[in-house]
Amino acid sequence: MSVIRLGYVHVRVTDLARARDHYQNTLGMDAVHEEDGRVYLKSWDEDNHHSVVLEEGGVGLVKFGYKVTGEDSLAALENRVAGFGATAERMSKGDNAGVGDGLRVTLPSEHVLELYSEVEYLGTKVGKINPDPWPRTGLRGIGVPRINHALITTEDPALLERFFAEVLGFRPAERLVSGDEPGDLVGSWMFCGENPHDIAFVNGPNGKLHHFAYQIDDWSALLRAGDVMSMDEVPIDFGPARHGITRGGTIYFFDPSGNRNEVFSGGYRTGADFRPITWTMDQAARGINYTHREIDQDFLQVVT
Amino acid sequence: MPHITVGPDGPAIDVPPGETIVEGLRRVGWRARYRCRGGGCGICKCPLVDGAVTYPGPVAESALSAAERSAGLCLPCQAVPLGDVVIEQRGRPLRPMLASAPRVAAPIREEK
Ligand code: FES
Ligand SMILES: [Fe+2]
Repeated sequence: MSVIRLGYVHVRVTDLARARDHYQNTLGMDAVHEEDGRVYLKSWDEDNHHSVVLEEGGVGLVKFGYKVTGEDSLAALENRVAGFGATAERMSKGDNAGVGDGLRVTLPSEHVLELYSEVEYLGTKVGKINPDPWPRTGLRGIGVPRINHALITTEDPALLERFFAEVLGFRPAERLVSGDEPGDLVGSWMFCGENPHDIAFVNGPNGKLHHFAYQIDDWSALLRAGDVMSMDEVPIDFGPARHGITRGGTIYFFDPSGNRNEVFSGGYRTGADFRPITWTMDQAARGINYTHREIDQDFLQVVT
Repeated sequence: MPHITVGPDGPAIDVPPGETIVEGLRRVGWRARYRCRGGGCGICKCPLVDGAVTYPGPVAESALSAAERSAGLCLPCQAVPLGDVVIEQRGRPLRPMLASAPRVAAPIREEK
């Protein structure tokens, strides 16, 4: 088994109608399925059934899913999770609309992470035969092509890094440290393919979401995304700016319920032989916001 | 017009009826401590020393619980004064800013 990518993020929203408006009309996702108090959405360049689920009631992360290759049995994966001392249960086809059987893991950070290999194929909006680079009609707002990564908080970053490495085969691309001891890890940006990160986590309360991000083409797409946010009165957290960590371009903003979103562009390629980059705390602000070299403490503290 | 007083030594301003405390302060050049402006993150939470507010928009229980409300806390990003109010921003002074107010009360759009 190997992990392919972040498949979906399932978040709570205080007001489903306002949330739908943001995710459908400002971000440009399409609703593919609805059931009592939940909407499932997909971006135009994604193949699989959905990548975001909005659930009415509260705010914050319900769970997130990573798609895995199917050759390994779920039992073997279950054993690895148990061997690490974490808990998991089987999830069944239909627990999530469009998603098959899988494993529901409670991370050492108390987040719920689902692993699955079977998911309904809906296809992108441009198709797979002589496709246009983007859909000529039907894009709304920013027109985000796909989700990319999530950043969560944990009381024990070193433990969570070990979990993602040993159980799921992730590697750290960048590490923020406060000293030389293993326990001095403040944050880790980890990848499963060749992205600079597919999951990231920083020190903070267990079970919380800092943000999840959409990947967009480049810096000019980022600037255009910022235009749409201004037109739609979206509260901005910071950006456009460049990250030192991952080298991506970024705008952080909030959905109408207060969940933080990001549009992210660029970033370098990693891979199995990539040697991790280290950031020290005295340069942490530059790591997060390379352009401004300062960040508001509330940016770090606010999670949902 | 409802009158907002920010303690201990903040400004006192009038806001049009229906405007949130954060938006009212922004419009006249003050940035209170806020982040999401959506009633979700809780970072704007502060004591409501006097007066009453209403919440026309959504507020997450995790951002402001019922117990916190009855203990006299409010969420200025969503709170709309019902008459004159006094809020307390001790230890987190307002910052002067030039801010552009939202141009329209954004309606919820149909998916096109
Ligand atoms: S700013 Fe987030 S709840 Fe008020
Ligand atoms: Fe990010």
